[in-house]
Formats: sequence, structure tokens, C-alpha cells
Amino acid sequence: MIRGLVAVVLLFTVAACANSGAPSSATPSFATPSFTTPSSATPSSVAAPSASGALTRGVLLPASPPTRLTIPALDVSVPVTDLGLAPDGTMEVPGDARTVGWFTGAPTPGSLGPAILAGHVDYGGSAGTFARLTDLDQGDPIRVTRTDGLVATFAVTKVARFPKARFPTGEVYGPIDHAGLRLITCGGAFDRDAGHYVDNVVVFATLQSGE
Amino acid sequence: MKFRVFVALVTGAVLVGLAAPGTAMAAESVHVSLTEFNNSGARGTAVLTALDNGDLRVSIRSSRLVPDAPHAQHLHGSVEGMDFHCPVAAADTDGDGYISTEEGVPDYGDIFVSLTTAGDISRASGLAVDRMPVADQSGTLTYDRTIPAAELPAGTVAHLKDLHVVQHGIDANGNGKYDLSALGESTIAAAAGLAGIPQEATHPALCGMVAGASAGSVPVGGVATGDGSTRTDPGRLVTTLPAAMLILLLATLLITRRRKFVLPR
Ligand SMILES: [Cu+2]
Repeated sequence: MIRGLVAVVLLFTVAACANSGAPSSATPSFATPSFTTPSSATPSSVAAPSASGALTRGVLLPASPPTRLTIPALDVSVPVTDLGLAPDGTMEVPGDARTVGWFTGAPTPGSLGPAILAGHVDYGGSAGTFARLTDLDQGDPIRVTRTDGLVATFAVTKVARFPKARFPTGEVYGPIDHAGLRLITCGGAFDRDAGHYVDNVVVFATLQSGE
Repeated sequence: MKFRVFVALVTGAVLVGLAAPGTAMAAESVHVSLTEFNNSGARGTAVLTALDNGDLRVSIRSSRLVPDAPHAQHLHGSVEGMDFHCPVAAADTDGDGYISTEEGVPDYGDIFVSLTTAGDISRASGLAVDRMPVADQSGTLTYDRTIPAAELPAGTVAHLKDLHVVQHGIDANGNGKYDLSALGESTIAAAAGLAGIPQEATHPALCGMVAGASAGSVPVGGVATGDGSTRTDPGRLVTTLPAAMLILLLATLLITRRRKFVLPR
């Protein structure tokens, strides 16, 4: 609570998100020493050309969980934790305003299929890391650092807002023929009676490169 | 959260026999397009779902297969990083017009998992036709099985996209069944010590190519990524002003009591 209020003050004075202490560099310096592997950073299937009439499109990386998310256009560079399903079947959400969560029930960022990252638009009195997600434009880069040391660079293809009551499950979580990324946060009006936002904002992105 | 990662890694280590970093399991579904092979005329789809407990759910729907006949089916390939693919015509090294199971192996790899209907799933069950699914009278084959993590070869789930579903069994002479008079005896079955099995029964009919992937478990509805705590909607503020003021007052009291901290406003 105190941290949240302090962050609000910071927000108005520094005009930055709760991660104002982190450098907004495009090359994340964050590393997870306990996860580094010397050999697996050069997987054979990296950027495999679509041999023998492959049915998939574009660059594909092997599976590796994310550790950090960097969005240069929003000055975002934050650690990523795991999210599962809550007992009621909804997706878990991060426990603070800053951290972004990777939904472990979907592919890892950079491998074939839709990788899902969720973050708060606001939480506990603080603006969340995803507070300005709707400011993203088509083509803006999104970078995800992975435990294998590779950085997957995505480009925004679409920014959309959907009523939670009619959430497009298939479009967000369904099968795709490329390595995709979806950033999810809240948006639209806030229903104070129900205590939640009426809409979800979803940013769709496609993998451009992994290195 | 670290605990969760730890648990996942330990579970992976115990059940699958690997705990290599960067191979933590994502529960995902790999969508496979089964394409015709050896002019079988068949078609199908397969969905391989890595469940979050490490089990593998395999669902296969094929049609236009040889009716009322068992179809041996396997996951071919390896988890050693080999780049396998479905064979092309050049794989027919003996030039008889058909790509046999053996001729396909350099392209799609050896049998990695035998997709039996029950019991053992190892390579040894590759020709266990009594435990292979049978196409119905119209040639439609339906297969659903969840294979426990403990029975899967190490690395299966992490390398799902590198493996190829292959279904065997064609009707080369169009008489509606497997028979020796069409293409003779199965060379691979004979090599395994099984005499009298028609080559038609073991020739590949369909080969799977990865066409896409999706979430393995789909969350219900939208995502609760916001609590409205920074919202100051003018329109709504009017109706909620008393409540907002009360919250602010309580928060201020709480903070001043606990930390002697006063809000700067
Ligand atoms: Cu096979």
C-alpha cells in the first residue's frame, strides 16, 4: 500500500512508470545467472528456413521461457514471471503493478504459436507497466529475453480492445502458423460496482528475429 | 513464484528425466496437418497437447484410409535436434513407385513413440497392429489418448514440434484391404521377424507437418489486469466521490498510524 502510494507520487513527479529506476535501453542488461546455459544457445532449429514446403511462416525459435520484456516505445523493461490458471479457470495476474506475467498454458515467446504476456494497466494505486499499451503503433518493436539467452524481437501488428464479456478466445489463444505474441491488459470503462474494467486491450505482434 | 518454477523443474526432472534450463514446459497444443503419402488419398489432422502435468494428449482425425483395417501410427523423429521432414518422391530409392517405411526413415526419422491404443508406446510396439486404431467402414479413423509423462521418452514434450505423426496402411491395388498380391510382403515386418504381413499394411499413408500451435489450456473469459486504482473518470467520480474520499481517508489514517507518513497534498 505504502509502496503503491509512493509510486503514484513518483509517477507524477518523474513522469515514468514504477520501473523508473531501470534503464530504458533497448538491450536489456538483466540476466538470470542460475538459468544460463553454455551450449543450448545455438539450437539447430533457429531461423530454420521453411524446408520442404513447411506449413508455418517466418522465423521460429525453440521453446524457452521468457525472463524479461522490453518495449522501447513505452520505456518498458521489466522482469517476467509465470502465470497459470486460477481455480475459477481465469488466467492468473501478476501480484504487483510492475511485473508482467507469461501464461505457461501457451507457447514460449519466439516459438510457434501465440505467447501470452499479461500486465496490469493499474494496480494498488500505481499505474501498471501496461498502462500505455494503447499507445503502441503497428510496427513498434517488442523484445522478449528468454532463459536460453536469445532475444525474440516482435513487431506490433494490431492493437485492439474487446469487451471482457465477449473476449475473442480463439483469436488470442487459438492456433496460428507463426510465432506470435499477445500483450494483454485492461481498458475501457471501469465498472466500480463489479470492481473491474469492462474491456481488455490486446496487442498482437509477430516474431521478426531471434538472436 | 520462484517456488513454482522450482516445482515445475523438479517435476520435469522426476517425470520426464530432464531438467535442462530453457526446456521448462509450456502447456501448448501443436496442430499437425496430415498430408497424403504414396497416393493414399487420405487426409487428416492431429493435435498434440502438452498438458501442464507433463502428460501428452494425442488426438488424430483421419479420413479416406483403408476401411475396417488397422493403421499403425507413430511419432517419428528424435529430440536430438535433427531437422526431419516428410519425405518427397526422391525418397523412393528402389524406384518401385512407393516410399516404404524404411525409405522414409532418413527423412522423418526412426519410430520415436508408437501411438498404440493401449499399453506400451515404445518403438518395440511399432508393428503391434492388435493395439493400433482401426479405421471404420468409411475409412475414418479417430484416435484419442493421453500418455502419462512417466511413459514418454525424455524430451518428447519439449520437442513436440520436431516430431512427425506418420500413419501407415494403404490399398495400392484398390481392393479395399491389405493383401500380399498387391505389393508383396512387408519388408520392415519381415526384418522384424514377422512373416506374412502385406507391404500395403506398413507403407506410410499420411505424414504430419506442423501447421500451427495454440495455447494448451485456454483461460475462461477476459483477464483481470487492472483494479481501477488510478482511474479518475470525471463522469463516474461524481457518483463515487464519497466512496473515493472514504478510501483516501482510511488510507491516509493507515499510513500515518503505521509509518508517520503524510501524503504530500
Ligand atoms: Cu511410422
